[in-house]
Amino acid sequence: MLNFLLRRLAHALATLFGITLLIFALFHWVGGNPVLRLVGKSATPEEIARLTHRMGFDRPFWVQYFDYLGDLVRFDFGRSWETKQGIGEMLADGIGPSLSLALPAFAIATVVALTVALVAALYRDRWPDRLLVTLAVAGMSLSVLAFIIGAQYVFAFQAGWFPISGWEPGVRGLPFLMLPIAIWVAASVGSAVRFYRAVFLEEMRKEYVITARAKGLAWPRILSRHVLPNAMIPVLTHLVMELPMLFTGSLLLENFFGIPGLGNMSISAINASDLPVIQTMTFIGALLYLGANILGDVLYAVVDPRVRVG
Amino acid sequence: MLSGRLYSAMEVPLLLESVIRRLKRDKVALVAVCVIGLYLFAGLLSLAGLLASGFAEQVGEAYAPPSWAHPFGLDVLGRSVWERLVQGSRVALIVGFFSTAIAIPVGAVLGLVAGYFRGWVDALVVWLYSTLDAIPTILLLLAMALVLPTGKGLATVCIALGVTSWVSTCRVVRGEAIRQKELDYVRAARSLGAGNLRILFVHLLPNVLHLVLVQASLVFVYSIKSEVILSYLGVGVQNFPSWGVMIDDARLELVGRGVWWQFAAATAALFVLVLAFNLFNDALKDALDPKER
Amino acid sequence: MPFLSRVLPLSVCLALTLLAGCAPERDPGNVYRGALISNLKTFDPAQASDSYSNQSQFQIYEALYEYKYLARPYEIQPCLAAALPEVSADGTVYTIHVRTDIEFQDDPTFPGGKGRKINAHDFIYSIKRLTDVRTDTYGWWIFDGKVKGLNAFRDASEKLPALPDSIHPALYDQEVEGLRALNDSTVRIELTRPFPYFKYILAMPYAAFVAHEVVDKYGPEFLNHPVGTGPYVLKEWRRGLRLTFARNPKYHHGFYPTEGSPADSAAGLLADAGKPLPFIDRAELYIFNETQPMWLNFLRGNLDRSSIPKDNYSQAVTPGRGLNEVIRKRGIVLNRMWQLDLTYICFNMKDPVLGKYKKLRQAMQLGYDVETVIDRFYNGRGIRAQSLIPPELAGYDSTFRSPYGEYNPARARKLLAEAGFPGGKGLPELVFLTVASTEARQRGEHFAQNMAAIGITVKVESCTWPEYLERLQVSRYQLVGASWMADYPDPENFLQLLYGPNKPPGENNASYQNDAYDRLFEEMTRLQDGPDRMAVIRQMKEIAAEDAPWIFAVHRVAEILSYQRIGNLKPHAVAESPIKYYRIGEGK
Repeated sequence: MLNFLLRRLAHALATLFGITLLIFALFHWVGGNPVLRLVGKSATPEEIARLTHRMGFDRPFWVQYFDYLGDLVRFDFGRSWETKQGIGEMLADGIGPSLSLALPAFAIATVVALTVALVAALYRDRWPDRLLVTLAVAGMSLSVLAFIIGAQYVFAFQAGWFPISGWEPGVRGLPFLMLPIAIWVAASVGSAVRFYRAVFLEEMRKEYVITARAKGLAWPRILSRHVLPNAMIPVLTHLVMELPMLFTGSLLLENFFGIPGLGNMSISAINASDLPVIQTMTFIGALLYLGANILGDVLYAVVDPRVRVG
Repeated sequence: MLSGRLYSAMEVPLLLESVIRRLKRDKVALVAVCVIGLYLFAGLLSLAGLLASGFAEQVGEAYAPPSWAHPFGLDVLGRSVWERLVQGSRVALIVGFFSTAIAIPVGAVLGLVAGYFRGWVDALVVWLYSTLDAIPTILLLLAMALVLPTGKGLATVCIALGVTSWVSTCRVVRGEAIRQKELDYVRAARSLGAGNLRILFVHLLPNVLHLVLVQASLVFVYSIKSEVILSYLGVGVQNFPSWGVMIDDARLELVGRGVWWQFAAATAALFVLVLAFNLFNDALKDALDPKER
Repeated sequence: MPFLSRVLPLSVCLALTLLAGCAPERDPGNVYRGALISNLKTFDPAQASDSYSNQSQFQIYEALYEYKYLARPYEIQPCLAAALPEVSADGTVYTIHVRTDIEFQDDPTFPGGKGRKINAHDFIYSIKRLTDVRTDTYGWWIFDGKVKGLNAFRDASEKLPALPDSIHPALYDQEVEGLRALNDSTVRIELTRPFPYFKYILAMPYAAFVAHEVVDKYGPEFLNHPVGTGPYVLKEWRRGLRLTFARNPKYHHGFYPTEGSPADSAAGLLADAGKPLPFIDRAELYIFNETQPMWLNFLRGNLDRSSIPKDNYSQAVTPGRGLNEVIRKRGIVLNRMWQLDLTYICFNMKDPVLGKYKKLRQAMQLGYDVETVIDRFYNGRGIRAQSLIPPELAGYDSTFRSPYGEYNPARARKLLAEAGFPGGKGLPELVFLTVASTEARQRGEHFAQNMAAIGITVKVESCTWPEYLERLQVSRYQLVGASWMADYPDPENFLQLLYGPNKPPGENNASYQNDAYDRLFEEMTRLQDGPDRMAVIRQMKEIAAEDAPWIFAVHRVAEILSYQRIGNLKPHAVAESPIKYYRIGEGK
């Protein structure tokens, strides 16, 4: 097991190296000369050149890259070009609002998707199943933009059931979060339902279920004793793999609903070509992904020892 | 594939034929194909300048609601929403086509090579796609759209989508290649002295083709949806109506003025096309499913 | 303990009653709640480059001078200075007396936590800090080339190692020829040549007094630790959400203005004349990334003041320019002011086509339907610009008409033909650069539509704000949509935008070069306001109109809504929302 974990970690480290390199290389050339935006009005070319030198932007690519790596290792993300604020502090400020949206949304979406999928699987090929699957496919096909703009217009603006946007810490934030959470659930549940339904059907087709059925066991018992525990493995793996979505899934939602989280910060940073912030956000997103991957692998290995050998 | 039959390169038309036969029997798939065909037709006509060529002209009062003359109403500059919609379908199809045309060959070839040779080639390919996959897609796309030397616009969107969306194809094909290279038909080919290239493209490729087809259809839908979001965020198609640009326009006028027709039209156009593709995709998967073939 | 248990509740009751009786009549509503439509970036005056930072900063920081609250056209009055500057006859030497009875707010940095008195050296330090290259400020341009010896100081600062590691007091102790403290209360500034608008520079947020001890102590975190002399201190800053200011107990040098126009008097703006400021104990500024939530919170009474989002305009204002009945009944009033700005489309004069054909540029001005722009994109809040100078600024003349300041497609086509491009034939496709926002793109598309109507093909290209700035600095564009807001209320601030030597990377984005204009500009900067100066400005406007390096578009009007309970509110275009003048209670 330890050996397996170490191998996974080594792989993750290699990937991490690739990610930092790719991010750095991409942003190294983005937005032109970063100095131009720092010097302010009426700078002469000499002034620009001197500042470029002072900021170290004229050093070779590799030198700058390893410099960047060194900072990352020390968790020093630098300062935003746009606001001059420390990025570490910005992250600390943004994580709360982001999680207040993402965690409940993710939890509710999972529960809803599992329930719907189970119902559909039980009624396989009968009308409830067909209806639910049709709805799921329709939901998958509607653009997330349509979900956001349409729901905001109809439920918040016209009906006035929710605030149009905003955020507050604590319980007072609840009314602000309800609509974005509902949109998240509606937009993400379609494909999840299809996946879980397939998992359940797969499980229900198996011999032992059919035997149990033949022996006259009731569905609830079969489900709770056999189908659900066995289906847990693919479901869990799927969930773990979806974890990075907690970070990126809310990018547009946060922006639309004025939630001062990491997603909102990322979009502002992109609009301002605030490279240190974009780099950090990308890096953190990647880190989450890798973490989720390792977790998924470990989960899988715990459940199925064959994986460890292969 | 175990219970299904194996195909050689010569027999690829046979595979396609059997797929088409199965699709023909599926009514939903037929409707979906017809819908996609309609979009394609509209896109081609507008490309040829035969349809909706006056999309930039003012044809009436700004924000005129739908009427007989203009069934989808007019936008902020008095332009016909219908004509902009048609031009948008052209953008969607172009983006879908070209990004798929980039992503699928890259993904398929890298997947085959990695799965077949294993070793350091495999490690490299896996490293490459894990890296790409780990970066949040939307941030990567935005960065690509900003950094590509082609400047902002249609070409950049296609390239950015193409080079970021081959990952799933590669993963799937690699997995299948790993499994199939141990099968008898590959061993037999090898013992008969077939070269690696021959095994890869003449023997293995036809037998992973069904996966590639499904992937192509998925990438196509994904590209269309992504283009809308990129255009909406202002890094997509420039100077040309796309559904994303229309939704961006519509967002402000919807809340402020209650102008719903542009939003409804662009959303519906996108929805119907994506839905058609999703249904087609399901039918395709069923038709290719070895268990039923 | 039966005794205690019986007595305690009683004593508690008694104490509570006593406390309630003794407590001063505290008005729980003495709080002002405003809005910022952008995330606040920093509290460092050297970084006060956007109006939201300005607005938050000058509740805390002060400079030598400040703007009079009621006077229009805008005028300055002493703030940390004892009087207006004494200017030598040749206009180059300014002698300014700094008040010595004002203290910085309390902060742990100072001995005993008590803020010390300000002095002339604080001003010198603050300006030197702004000049220091390592401060990385946009604000240096306000002194660039204007003060003797200051540019040399800047060059010297460049050779020093990066800031947090080394502050190098040696450089700061070195005397700069044109920037000296004669004693603790006197500053002497020597200019390189006369700049009549220099007094306005001294009122800009960039020129605020900062205490060197505070800058040294907090280093890079100084931007989160404002320590000033102003009416308020920063109580709390919840990033992305809210700023809370509390009254600065040591503030005693501000008084409500005693002079105002008859209109101000009629509006009840002089009821508090001469009273000590501020009136409001606490101010909260809420941060909104988008206008919708701000608007709804305002309507619900959670904010005292708000602008009107473009898309809610018809909801708030009637076609007759009055306030909508429903909104008026909530006790909301509408305030208007000229924004001291100009939107325009700038030609790149270095472009082989656009720079060469004057008639082409004139034709494009004539073909641009500005009235529709005002109606559709600004909800009618603005007027067509005939020149560079906006209303309420010296040099504005409501009778001035540019020969091309009208929408006339027929004349445009004629001029286009005269330029050698009949019906647009022979013209390449032109690219119009704009920032990537929905409205900017729509304005661009509208312009393209207008140009198409006279035969000119224009393509719209949008880019991010930093990219936009960069492309202006390196002249990589053909046509660009731009706007300019006054930094200070002197016509020079607008006229310099076409001054030849200011060409990129300077502010003359068009790279416009006209010797006659430049000579007049130099003359204008030497003249004090008066008929002579106005005559020179008129000539410059005529040259600019004829040469058409820009398409003059719109001077915008700002409309601000506020609840009646906020008294003493008069919108100010240069110093936005000075909370210290506001009071809670029925305004008129």
